[in-house]
Order: sequence, then structure tokens, then C-alpha cells
Amino acid sequence: MTHHSALTVHQISKHYQDGNRQIEVIRDLSFNVAAGKSISVTGPSGSGKSTLLNALAGLVELDDGDITLEIQDKIFSYRAANERARTAFRRQHIGYVYQFFNLVPTLTVLENVRLPARLNRRPDLEAFASTLLSDFGLSDRLHDFPEKLSGGEQQRVAVARAVLLRPPLLLADEPTGNLDSENSAQIADLLFSSCRDQNIMLVLATHSHEIAAMADTRLHLDARPSASLAPA
Amino acid sequence: MIPLALLRFLRRTPWSTAMALVGMALGVASIVSVHLVSASISSRLDGLVPSSLADFSYYLHRENLHTHDYFELRRRWRSGALPTLERLSPVVDETAQIADLSVRVLGIDLLSQLPSGDIPTASGAFAFNGVWVDKSLKDTLSLPINGIIEAPEGTLLSDISVAHDLLDWPDHQLSYIGLVIGQAFAHSLEVAENLLPGFGAGLPIAKPNLDIGPGWQLVNTAEQYPARAFGKSVLFNIAALGMLALLVAWLLIYQVAVSWLRRLWPVFDRLHGLGVEWPHLRNYFLGSIGVIASIAAGLGLILGWWLATKLLTMSVPGNAVALDLSGWVVIKAFGSALAVCLVGGAWAFRRSQRGQPQTLAPLLATLVLLVCGLICVIQPETGLAGGFFAIAVLSLAAGQTIGPLLLRLKRWSSNIGGSYLMRVGVREALWHPAELSVALAGLSLSIATAIGVGLMVDSFRLDFSQMLDHRLKYDVIAEGNPASLEAVIKAPGSVAQASRIQHYRSADIRVDGALVELNVTHMDAFESSRYAHDKRLGDSEVLLSEQAARTLGVLPQETLRILGETMTVAGTFSAFGDLKPRLIVDDQSAIAEAMGAELKMASVAFESNSPKALARALKASSSTLEIRLQSDIRRIALNVFDQTFAITTVLITIALLVAAISVYIAVTTLRLNRQTGRQLLNTLGVNRVEQHLMNLAMGIGLGAVAMIVALPLGVMFGWILCNVINPRAFGWTIELQVSASALLWPCAWGMLAAILAGMLQVGDAEEGAFGGR
Repeated sequence: MTHHSALTVHQISKHYQDGNRQIEVIRDLSFNVAAGKSISVTGPSGSGKSTLLNALAGLVELDDGDITLEIQDKIFSYRAANERARTAFRRQHIGYVYQFFNLVPTLTVLENVRLPARLNRRPDLEAFASTLLSDFGLSDRLHDFPEKLSGGEQQRVAVARAVLLRPPLLLADEPTGNLDSENSAQIADLLFSSCRDQNIMLVLATHSHEIAAMADTRLHLDARPSASLAPA
Repeated sequence: MIPLALLRFLRRTPWSTAMALVGMALGVASIVSVHLVSASISSRLDGLVPSSLADFSYYLHRENLHTHDYFELRRRWRSGALPTLERLSPVVDETAQIADLSVRVLGIDLLSQLPSGDIPTASGAFAFNGVWVDKSLKDTLSLPINGIIEAPEGTLLSDISVAHDLLDWPDHQLSYIGLVIGQAFAHSLEVAENLLPGFGAGLPIAKPNLDIGPGWQLVNTAEQYPARAFGKSVLFNIAALGMLALLVAWLLIYQVAVSWLRRLWPVFDRLHGLGVEWPHLRNYFLGSIGVIASIAAGLGLILGWWLATKLLTMSVPGNAVALDLSGWVVIKAFGSALAVCLVGGAWAFRRSQRGQPQTLAPLLATLVLLVCGLICVIQPETGLAGGFFAIAVLSLAAGQTIGPLLLRLKRWSSNIGGSYLMRVGVREALWHPAELSVALAGLSLSIATAIGVGLMVDSFRLDFSQMLDHRLKYDVIAEGNPASLEAVIKAPGSVAQASRIQHYRSADIRVDGALVELNVTHMDAFESSRYAHDKRLGDSEVLLSEQAARTLGVLPQETLRILGETMTVAGTFSAFGDLKPRLIVDDQSAIAEAMGAELKMASVAFESNSPKALARALKASSSTLEIRLQSDIRRIALNVFDQTFAITTVLITIALLVAAISVYIAVTTLRLNRQTGRQLLNTLGVNRVEQHLMNLAMGIGLGAVAMIVALPLGVMFGWILCNVINPRAFGWTIELQVSASALLWPCAWGMLAAILAGMLQVGDAEEGAFGGR
């Protein structure tokens, strides 16, 4: 399936309230990502990388600005949607890979990967889940629970789950932060190649310059809310 | 710094703190209410024995007891031949008609003991030939009254010589000799009785080893006062059920302590990493949970007192109930809350710090206890306490199976089918034995008890109803004073309207030293059939209530000496609710003739084609008689039956409620410590409705695990209650009927409790001790 999709982030701002103190995390941030392209987000801890990814997932409400995702000529506006609509949209169109706790511990490897297909009533993708896991070198772990997998294996399962639906947008929040260099390289390769092959937009937050350099575009967030966009 | 951090933690998690407080307070309230109800009933039962006889633990009877017999015994005691005997005293105990009242006259040796607890009369004079009476006789007797005593209605106490005069007995005649026999562990048993009122009634009664020579019959307090013994047995049943409430409350308090620890553990772990020593952290943990336990104990005391007042008002409607919070109940409330929290908390802390010890000791201990429990079931000599010990052991064993069962179910859980979210929910219920097994044990135990008691009550109700079908063959029953009854059977109105008139005479007699009620009536085939005997009762035959057969140790077709006559036991009959063992003989038997005028008319039964008209006629002819229609008796009997079990139902409901709160606290803690899992599902697009469905599946999973343990355990409880406890407590047998309603209702309530505990999300949004990314 080929996506005709595009992500537009337009002058978004987000702050948190801590008692009487207002902490501004993102201010007037704008960028675009085209179908099949990737963008890496770098910056020091507390610069708002995770907040940005959560905003892109529709998990946090924006204070200002808007995020729109164009899919097959239809535009979904995050500002216009309520929490319920954003949840339904995320379920169908966004994949997410975290640094930790990526898998539901009480589902087997295969069940974890098939979960988005089940949630979206897409039985046609269930066989694809096994194929993906096989391609990712996990064919012998299908019926194991996550607790029996190594960190690298767990992340591979998480990537497989994130790409199963071939979503237009995949978000990865420091997906290699918990891994050794060999596994980091493997996971980064999997992410970038899968997104490229399936025309998925990838937004990846990372501390690693090597991995950031693999993206088409780099976005650097400062400790104070200001951003600079540069081609990789 | 660390106490400050803990205080902030309490402030930031108000709902969890409140739930812990409420949970513990409810646990303590159940402990307090059950204790107060039991103590109140126990005190009322003790009032059935005049205070001057309360010290006696055994009574010696023999035919024509003479003062010579007493002095002979006393000489032997003085010579040291009866070493276990601490005191003995002659007693006259007989009923006399004084001032047209039936008065129980008790004569004791005033030279050796003055009645205790007396209230001086207005005159303040003490007359050696005066009497002490209970308050009902205060203004009705013309005798000089020395004081008012605590005793059943219609009791008069005096010196032996005064009693002889009142009864018109010869000076040498005695009724029996009261004995005070030294008991091992008497002080410990007294403490246990204070902590668990009713506990003593369950202990087996051993015959003391007294070399007193031939012709004597040694009778214990239970045989001497069957009404009190019956009441104590009921009380022991309530007390034993109260022990279950206590156990479930302890489980809840322990669960709160464990949940508290689990929430704080990540903080402790990091503080330890920073160099804070484990003993310091343990003390802070125990300090915080100790504060909560103390506040909860105070709240629980007040709530328990209120609940006990309501329960007693419900069981004895119309009577004013005033309950005092004794030192024992305060000790029990604070002791339970603090001891379980601190000891359980310290143990849980140690386990968290050092990991789960892999040892077979608990399993072996449980196996040994199970064998002991089996012996208690088989051996009737272990008494009521033996039966309840078996139930306690089964509860312990069942509680221990929850953890291993969850581990097995966890391994099996990959086979669960259906929707993935349902799988997640059900597996959540099965995957966390460390967090959930204590709470699930409490829930299983409550459901099992509800099933066991439900099976017993249903079976009992069926047998009771069948007994009423047999007994209530007559249309109208008249009860009241003998003279009015004698008159009514000869009244032309009754004779004209009744197709059959059956009158019953009765008297209390002693058989083998045991006090029994003798009923005499015309035992033709029709009347015999009321007692499950299919033919006319012979002149030398006797029918025994089950209770009498057990007390006297005889079986059908064996013989029994009654008032010097040898009688054959023709059969036994159910007599649920009888306070005393009962014998029935035909009015033509030698015993009936020998008793003569001592037999008093007790009731008259009528068969009639127009019972209502007959009842009206009888009421018109005698205003002093109680006239009841068969249908009224059935209704009243069944109402009394249901009322008897009202307290039981409330106690089980409390245990179930406490168990449900325990599960809720465990589930909430589990969720708070695993918030990241829920966040992940939210990221994947799982909406609120689906999250509720997952919680529903989790609740069903929790309920199902509790059911797996509770169903077989409940049926075992039911069997023990019907076949072990009831025969030992009351002397009657109930045939266990496994009814669907007795199985399904507790399961339904248990499942509902588990589902609510699983689904209730209030407070879930609070921050955990440590936020996840």
C-alpha cells in the first residue's frame, strides 16, 4: 500500500503547570515530513523530545498551533479532534516505539504484534505478523511471553508491532537508548529500512548522533524552547 | 528527610491512604462487632445459672441423696482421697408452689458461702431464715428478703434448712452435691474465653478422675443445664464464624500492609542505593503503617460497637441493647490492627528484601495440620472445637493453594482464547500471585463459608420443614397452665367441634444422671407416626429424641432404665430446637403410672373440620391459654428459624465485604505499580470502554480463581457443619442437600465483589511511588 501522506506541525506550543510555576516545553515549533521520509529529534534531557512525540501521537493536548496529518487527501487536525477521536486515529494511523515497556507483558510475542490488527479488525494482517517476526529473526519466539526475551529482541517485536498496520506515521522515542551498540544498530536499521520500504514517515527522538544522522532531516531542540531544523 | 518524604507520599495519594484506613477500620469493626455480640450472648447465657452455683463445674447425683452421703464424701476429701477436688457443697434444688407461683427453690450452705453480688434490701436487715430472690419475685413473696440476686426468673435462694422448710422436705434430703474441680490451664482458658467469647463451649468435656465409689452419677454443667449448654453451642457457632471474620480481617490488614510496602518499595530501593540502611527503612515503613493501623483501630472500635448494637437489636427485637467496650475488646481491636500490620509488615519487608524463601516447611506443616483435622472429624471426642479446627485447617490449606494455583494458571494462560484485550485482563488476574494471593485467599474463604453455611441452612430448613410436616398433623394447639388445659379438654364446645383431642403431659426427670423431659400421651399409630414411628408404641417402649439418644448413648432396640423400669428404645426422632433431651412414652406405660400427679398437662392438640371456629371457641372459653392454628405455628417456627440465622448472614456479609475491599486494595496497588502497561495500551489506541472491558475481564478472572478454591472448600464446610458440628453441638443430624441456590448465590456475590474490585478505578489516577516513563 502506498501512502500519499504528509505531516505538518504548525507553530505548536506546550507548557506544563507545576503549582504556580509554568514550564514551557515547546514554543512555536513548526516542521513538515513527507511520506516515506524520516526526521530525527535530538536535544538534551528536558528539551521536550518526548513531549513532542506524545503530541504527535495525540496523547497530549496542544496549547497553541496545530498538527495535521494528511492521509489519502484527507486531513486530520489534532486541534479539532477530542481525546476519543485522537485515540481512534492513533489506533489506525500511528505506530509507536518506546525506550522501555514496549510490550504488553501478558501477551505473547505473536499476540503483541497482532494486537493492532485485532484492535482495528484487520484479520488479513494476522499472517503478516508472523511473516514480519520471521523477517526480524524471531520465528522461534512467537509463543513466548516478553519476560523471556532479551532487550534487543523486545525492541524488534516492538518495531514489528509498530509497522504491522503500515501506518503513515511511526514515532520512536529513544528506541535504542536501552540497548548495546550492536543491538542499537540492528534496531535503527530495522526502523529506517522498514519505514523506507513501506513509505512510512518516521519521527525518531534520540541522543545518538549516529542514529540521528541516518534520518533525512534533523531537528535539534534546545533546553530552552527554541528549535533549529537542518538537513542530515 | 525520609519521614517528610513519606508524609508527602501519603498526601499525594489520599485515595489509597483513605482506602487503607477504611479497609483496616472495616476489618477491626468486624472483629469488634462479632466480639461484642458473642460477649453479650454469653453474658445472657451465664444468667441462666444462679450466680451462687456458677462456680460448680460438676454435680454429683444419686438416688435418695442423704446428708450422710455428703459428709462421707467430705470425710474422704479431707483425708486426701479426692485430690483434684477443690470444693464441694450440698445443694437442694427443687420447684415448689409458693404464693400460687411456681418457684425454683435453691438451698445452699450459707455457712460456707454467702450469695455474691447482692443488692441490700431497703430494710438493710439480714435474716438467717430470710431468702434471696431474683427481681421478678421481689414484691410477690411474703418471706423476709435479704437481697436480690442475678438468676433466672422465679428463683429463690436460701440456706438449706430454710429450703427444706419451704419444700416440706425431711432435714436429711439433698438434691445433689456441687463440685469445684481443679482444671489444668484454667487461667489460660479464662483469657482465651475473654478474647473469644463462646470459645470454651467448643472444648471437649473430659470426665474428671474421681474415686467416689458406686451409686454416684457425675454430671457436668452442660448436662445439668441443657438450655445453657444449647445456647453456648449456638454461641460457639457464632464465635467460630466470628473467628472466620477475624481471619479475613487479619488477611485484609496484612494485605493493606503488603500493598503499602509494594507502593513504597521502589523509593526504599533507591534510598538503600543511596546508603540508607534497611533497618532504618523498615522502621519508617512500620511507623507509617502503624499510624494508619492505630487510627483505623479507633475508627473500627466505634463502627464495630455501632454494628454490634444493630445486630443485637435485630436478633432480639424490642429489647434495649447496651454494650460496653471492655478492655478485652479494645486489646483485641488494637492488638489485631497493630500486631498484624507490624508483624506481617516486618515479615513482608524481610521477604521483599531477601526474596521469597524456598522452603517446604509451610507445606509440611499444612499436611500435618490436615491429618490432625481429619482425626478431629473422625473422632467425636474432640468435640465441637475439633469440628471447627478441621474447618480452620481446611481454610489454611485452601489459602495456601492460591499462590501455587495462580502460578499454574499463569503457565496455562497462554491457552486463553478470545479477544486480546480480554486475554490481557484475565492474565492480569493470574500473573501476580505475590500481590493478589492474600486478598484472593480472603475472598475464597468468605465465599466458601457462605456456601458452607448456605448448604447447612438449606439442608437444615428442608429437614426442619419435613419435621414440621410430621408434627403439625393437628389443626389447633392449646398451651398454658395445666388447670386450664385440663378444663378445656372436657369443655363441651371443644368436644363438639373436634374430631380428635390429644393431650400431652410432661415432667423433668433424670435418666443416668442426665436431665431429660419426659412426655406422656396416648401413642396410637396416628400419634406415633408424628415421630417417624410406624406403629403403636408398646407399654414398655420409649421413643427418644436424637439429642436424648446421644446424651444417653443408646441406639434403637437397646434397653434403658427409666425410673426403675426397663424400657426398649423403639426409635429416635428429630427434635430441632429442643433445649433438653426428650423421651416419649405411652400413657398406659408403667412409667406414666409411676409418675402419676407429677406429670403436668403441657398442651392439647385438636383435629377439626373447622379449625378457625374451634380456635375462636377455645379462646372464648379460656383467656389464659395460648391457642394457635397449625398454619400459624408453621409460620412462627420458620420465622424463628430464619431469625436464628440472621446474625450468621450478617457476619458472612461483613466477611465478604472486607474480602472485596482487600481485593480492591490489592488490585489498585497492582495497577499503580504497573501504570506503564496501561499507558502503552493507551498509546496503541485502546479506548476507555475497552479499558473498562479489560478491567471487567480481570474482575471475572479474579472471581473465577476464588471460585475454583471456594466451591470445593464450601461443600466440604457444608458437610462438616451438617455431619460433624451439628451432631456434636446440638445432638441432631442434618442430611446435606447440595442445593443450587446455596452454591450459586455466594458465587454470584463473590463474583460481583471481584468484578467491582477489578472495575472500580477511583484513585487509580494517583501517582505511584515512582513514575514510569
